Amino acid sequence: MPGRPVAPGTEAIWDKIMQQEYDVVVIGAGFGGPVAAKKCAGAGLKTLLLERSENPGEKVVSGLTIPIYGFLFGPPFIRDGNPPIERPVDGIRNYVIYDVKDGDIETVELRIPRPLSPIFAFGYNAYCKPFCTWEAEQAVKAGAELRTCTTVTDFIKEDGFIKGVLTDSGEILRSKIVINSEGSQGILAVKAGVRGKYPPQAISLADTYDYDCPKEVIDRVFGHTLRFCWGFDELKIAPPLGHGNGLMSWPYRNSIHWMQDQCLAMGDGQVPNLKRLFDEYHENITTQLPWWRDEIAPSAKIRARMWEGFEIFVGLDDRLRNMPNYTDGMILVGDAAGLESTGLCDGVPTAWFSADIAADVAIEAIRAMDFSAKFLERYNRRIKAHTIIQWAIANKGRWNLRKAQESHDRKELRARINHQFGPGILTHAGTPLVKSLLDAIRKDPLVIMKWARMFPRYYYNWEHEYSSEDGLPVGKQKKRSSTIGWVLFDSLVILFSPINWVIAFLLEPLAGAINPLIKVFRPVVELGLGVSIRMEPLFSPVTRWMIDSVKQANPSTFSVSK
Amino acid sequence: MARTSERFPGVEWIGDTGIFIKIDEKRCTGCGNCLKVCLGGCFEIEKKLARIRSLDECMECASCWYVCGEEAIDFAWPPGGTGYRSDLG
Ligand SMILES: Cc1cc2nc3c(=O)[nH]c(=O)nc-3n(C[C@H](O)[C@H](O)[C@H](O)COP(=O)(O)OP(=O)(O)OC[C@H]3O[C@@H](n4cnc5c(N)ncnc54)[C@H](O)[C@@H]3O)c2cc1C
Ligand code: SF4
Ligand code: SF4
Repeated sequence: MPGRPVAPGTEAIWDKIMQQEYDVVVIGAGFGGPVAAKKCAGAGLKTLLLERSENPGEKVVSGLTIPIYGFLFGPPFIRDGNPPIERPVDGIRNYVIYDVKDGDIETVELRIPRPLSPIFAFGYNAYCKPFCTWEAEQAVKAGAELRTCTTVTDFIKEDGFIKGVLTDSGEILRSKIVINSEGSQGILAVKAGVRGKYPPQAISLADTYDYDCPKEVIDRVFGHTLRFCWGFDELKIAPPLGHGNGLMSWPYRNSIHWMQDQCLAMGDGQVPNLKRLFDEYHENITTQLPWWRDEIAPSAKIRARMWEGFEIFVGLDDRLRNMPNYTDGMILVGDAAGLESTGLCDGVPTAWFSADIAADVAIEAIRAMDFSAKFLERYNRRIKAHTIIQWAIANKGRWNLRKAQESHDRKELRARINHQFGPGILTHAGTPLVKSLLDAIRKDPLVIMKWARMFPRYYYNWEHEYSSEDGLPVGKQKKRSSTIGWVLFDSLVILFSPINWVIAFLLEPLAGAINPLIKVFRPVVELGLGVSIRMEPLFSPVTRWMIDSVKQANPSTFSVSK
Repeated sequence: MARTSERFPGVEWIGDTGIFIKIDEKRCTGCGNCLKVCLGGCFEIEKKLARIRSLDECMECASCWYVCGEEAIDFAWPPGGTGYRSDLG
């Protein structure tokens, strides 16, 4: 007897439907799903990617700055590709608001100084729909089948193993293994009893706005820097009740993305009236915050408002963090596996990393023809061993910031902001980043050539209003840039690759010392950052030259052969 | 056919979603948590129990499902290709 759907009342449908058989079914074409689907299809597996919306990403609500480590250490096709981005980001400027009416506001800034930025970016801003659609297109090019407008309603189970999915049109789609990237609610995973439902204290509801704003205004006011605002609760500015983020605003190309968020429940379980609070806070901050009121409000116009919950504190709770992320026949990735960062509140890099690992494990499982939880346990082990994922999901910085917002201690609030969203982040992000860097170089010393091309290519695509072409970005090409520089650079990388390998091999075990070292030398590091930002005007000719060289280059010089 | 809303620009709702969120009257205590977190105003209290007023402005965030401590909310996604969508998320 072949597998039967677990949903009661589906027997009749079951008899009617022709069954289709795949190696891998991937649920959800958000940020993670297409990465898994592309890798599986690329390995020759018959792969089906299912998405409930009509176009991938149009039901995903996000910030969105995807931090640079996602691009550097994530899927090669994204690093080496031309995804649609809205603006390269050079850092964050935090506004610590003590009294908005008196203008008692301090700033704490973490930024890559010019002339390195904006070409060498801290991350990239994007809209979800174009980005996820681009990712899904890459999966399709690799041979995956994409089916949109399809809601998965249940799993097919046979002898306790998940053997495929049932869709809302009653179709039965059988597969050897399911990769579930359904997003944070995990409706299917919870229903199937793989993991529990997250408590409302761990979920923050993000109320997001999108504003039309002329590019010149954004260039002048924001440049490439995100702006976050933090204040004590009684100001009713940001964030509501201190149990969420502050106000976060993201400069895009011709628009500003804006988000305030708040946990769905307080520690004691009390549920705040978010419907009322969000309107009140939005009104207050947009009319009282000086830079918004004076510099943005006159030229900005609301063009969208939407909301979505995200896993603000899931990773900080041992029980939630250790909920199963695999079962017989299925692996959970990204938000579905609770992998959203509790530090920077980013979840795209961890969705990419976990989708990549899940695809590897699925490929191995198919080779071994073993889909048991025992075999798939290696997925969990690799997630637990992933330096950046673990740093991201167990980071207490933002939690402590919430405590500081309650404490009403100015010094503490400022220090906590500095620690999480200012230069202080280097005291805890240093080790995971350096370790990942060395690990990547050890695995492939030539990756340096790909990183070096990624930054100018992304910048070029941004300047030329990216429009997708196979492989090459499209833009106005003014001058033919010489390839001599690249040939020289590549030769050096190749020449030094054995040395780089040895250096990476020897230094990687010592990467653990980076955080303590930065802690000790923190005053020097902060001073250095501050001085380099002050000295930026001195470098403006160099910055201009770098930008022009990239802007006017022949884009083929940045492309990476596949 | 796509619907739009003056209160929530930049968003469209496609097709007929049906009532994809259901409330179990036997479990509902009328605590009102679902009302407090639903920015779309999809719920109302009638005779001390919650009921769906309209899902016309539902953004499919599942906040109502998270905050119902009584497990009175049966949450499922609407049929494929229907419901909330945006280019600007
Ligand atoms: C307001 C907000 C701001 C954020 N800001 C940032 C940020 O600045 N930087 C960052 O890196 N991250 C940010 N995140 C987090 C980031 O958006 C998520 O971590 C990321 O989208 C997770 O990817 P995923 O693939 O796991 O899930 P998703 O991207 O959510 O994808 C899930 C997909 O599955 C589909 N789906 C769900 N159920 C079914 C089903 N039953 N059948 C078929 N399809 C289904 C959905 O339609 C969706 O397309 C933010 C999140 C929010 C809510
Ligand atoms: S949250 Fe649950 S119990 Fe409370 S009113 Fe809503 S449905 Fe009823
Ligand atoms: S899913 Fe969100 S928008 Fe829809 S009814 Fe529930 S709380 Fe309201």
